[in-house]
Amino acid sequence: MKKLVKHPRRLFGVAITYLILLLVAFVFLFPILWLVLASFSKSGSLYSFRGFFPTEYSFDTFVKLFTDTEMYNYPRWFANTLFIAVMSSLIGTFLTILTAYCMSRFRFKSRKALMKTTLLLGMFPSFMTMTAVYLLCTQFGLVNQHWGLILIYSAGAPMGYLTQKGFFDTVSVSVDEAARIDGANNFQIFVKITLPLAKPMIVYTLLSSFVWPWSDFILPKLLLKKKELWTVAVGLMSLDDTEFSRYAAGSVFIAIPIVIFYFALSRFLISGLSAGAVKQ
Amino acid sequence: MTAKLKQFFVKTGISVKNFFLGIGNGFKTLPQRLKARWNAFVSFLKNADGNVVASCLLMGLGQLFYGQWAKGLIFLAVQAVFVLFFVFIGAKGLVGLFTLGTVESNAWYGVEGDNSVIMLLLGILSVIALILYAVVYVANVKDAYKTQCAYDSLKTPPTFRKELSSLLDRNFYKVALALPILGVCVFCVLPIVFMILIAFTNYGGTTVPPKLVDWVGLENFGKILTLSDFAPTFFKIFGWNILWAVLSTFINYFAGLGLALLLNRKCVKGKVFWRLFPILAYAVPGFITLLGFKFMFSYGGPINYYITQAGGSAIGFLDIDAKWSSRLIGLAVNAWLCIPSSMLLATGILSNVNGDLYEAARVDGAGPWKQFTKITLPYVLFATMPVLISQFIANFNNFGIFYFLRGGLYIDGYFLASDTDLLINWLYNMSIDNNYYSIGAAISIVIFVVTSVISLAVYVMSPSYKQEDTYQ
Repeated sequence: MKKLVKHPRRLFGVAITYLILLLVAFVFLFPILWLVLASFSKSGSLYSFRGFFPTEYSFDTFVKLFTDTEMYNYPRWFANTLFIAVMSSLIGTFLTILTAYCMSRFRFKSRKALMKTTLLLGMFPSFMTMTAVYLLCTQFGLVNQHWGLILIYSAGAPMGYLTQKGFFDTVSVSVDEAARIDGANNFQIFVKITLPLAKPMIVYTLLSSFVWPWSDFILPKLLLKKKELWTVAVGLMSLDDTEFSRYAAGSVFIAIPIVIFYFALSRFLISGLSAGAVKQ
Repeated sequence: MTAKLKQFFVKTGISVKNFFLGIGNGFKTLPQRLKARWNAFVSFLKNADGNVVASCLLMGLGQLFYGQWAKGLIFLAVQAVFVLFFVFIGAKGLVGLFTLGTVESNAWYGVEGDNSVIMLLLGILSVIALILYAVVYVANVKDAYKTQCAYDSLKTPPTFRKELSSLLDRNFYKVALALPILGVCVFCVLPIVFMILIAFTNYGGTTVPPKLVDWVGLENFGKILTLSDFAPTFFKIFGWNILWAVLSTFINYFAGLGLALLLNRKCVKGKVFWRLFPILAYAVPGFITLLGFKFMFSYGGPINYYITQAGGSAIGFLDIDAKWSSRLIGLAVNAWLCIPSSMLLATGILSNVNGDLYEAARVDGAGPWKQFTKITLPYVLFATMPVLISQFIANFNNFGIFYFLRGGLYIDGYFLASDTDLLINWLYNMSIDNNYYSIGAAISIVIFVVTSVISLAVYVMSPSYKQEDTYQ
């Protein structure tokens, strides 16, 4: 402290730093805080608010969210989202881990070509082909089908195998070689050695391939035309000004698992981002 | 320019040069490689015995003559399936790919016509089947020839059981990759092929089944560039799209870097605590925050509440005539969404900078600004170049922002679009909401060409691709 007092310029710098940090924290926190407060508002309409703050607080909106389901069937939407996200996460993770393992451990003729192709395809944002996907789904009868969404999500998942491949690259191959000397084949090595070693990566893949369908709005909006089939994202999009606090409550409820997941994995986030992933 | 940055650009230039040189070398050695192939083929023709010829004529026959019953029967069965497929579906599909249907349906006369879109799809599937057949056929001939070679050199060829077990070992990747590749082909490649083909038809508008669709060549691209309906809108939107991508990438990148640097300062206590807020913003699903911001700037929203309280009249921030205010709000909201991720990225990279460099710079009397421009910036720029490019592309195709903030607005002077829409939004409006399928497909090809050329070049240049094997 004494040191700081001796250097008024440095003290000024520290003060400015903290001021900016406070401002940044406020800017990022406030909109979220606003939504959380709004979810505890007694009246639902945006017009009854005094600026950012509800006139009266209560727990009613959350109760209404799950009981008043005639117009807006939130529990149903929630179940749909959960079903789609869990199924696509399971299938997608299975495919991604297999792909990453093969790309990391095998050297075959078409490997480089395959890697370049996936990269090229990956640069095609999935929704850029949405017209084609939409038309194909209408032809194959996948519109208004949850399985259609699940197939699209999980089939696209192996395209993001690079993070997992990077992980397998770092796992030493000496264990594999020891097992091979003992007579194990590649399949046994994969099941008995690589998979147990890759447990943290599997968990990470499961969770991150859960998040995408959980928070996607483009595909469900495109393919689910019936109200009772909607996911939460499509459902919340249909709410207008007068149902503001219902939207806020629904958002808070669906955001909580994701927020917990991100905080639990914030260590992974940095490396995952450096691998080239960008949030939409 | 600092030395490091200069070096970076020199390096980049060299990589570009090497990339093209690599392509050139590929072509230069092409005659050689072709010759080797040809020689192998000639020796195959000379040496192949009757059994191999039998395999050439009918898949699996040669294997049967060699007494490899299981393999031979499998190949025969595959052959039968393909023949049946082509007799009943494939041939019609291939013809349909060219004609896209010849009989228009007529309810009056009870004529059930051709559905051009289904014919197009069947055509693509038939071509895929044909390629698959070729692959299996070549594998079958190669297999028979390998057996012959084994007998010629007095070895016994591997038994069927051994070959099966190799699928779990040496060839495990073939089994494991089959399913992912199939999925990617059906749900990623097929739509892309379908979309590319549609761009060369007149599918859309009133020309949808049961009407017949036709091939029109490059007409759609010409329409985008010249037709008075599309061309002005296309160029206006393209210009704004470029501006948007540059501005938002720039803002997000440098704000994120600045925030990371701020948090990295020695005097900041509780870095984890301060970092929580951006991560919180990052964690909330995008559609929630986008809807939230839309409510915030709406007529009944809190911002307008305070404006009216202060005696002003409510402002339509996102209204039809609010071009620049909605653009600025879009930039700000996008910054709110993207700065956290670029901050996390910069934090990860800054932790790898060698601290000694700063110490040395301080001894030499360099101020904080000098240190930033001469050490931090070149290093971070170098490390994040590929990510920066992919962020640029993601921003270029940022569908969500204006879809939520200002979706569904059509403005005078624009054809089915508003002055904040990006190409991707226009594409959506045209094809999903208004059935202009072929024009939409042409637009997405334009976007794809622009983005994929950039990204592939950058990826090939990036160190992570070149030095991939050094880490293992």
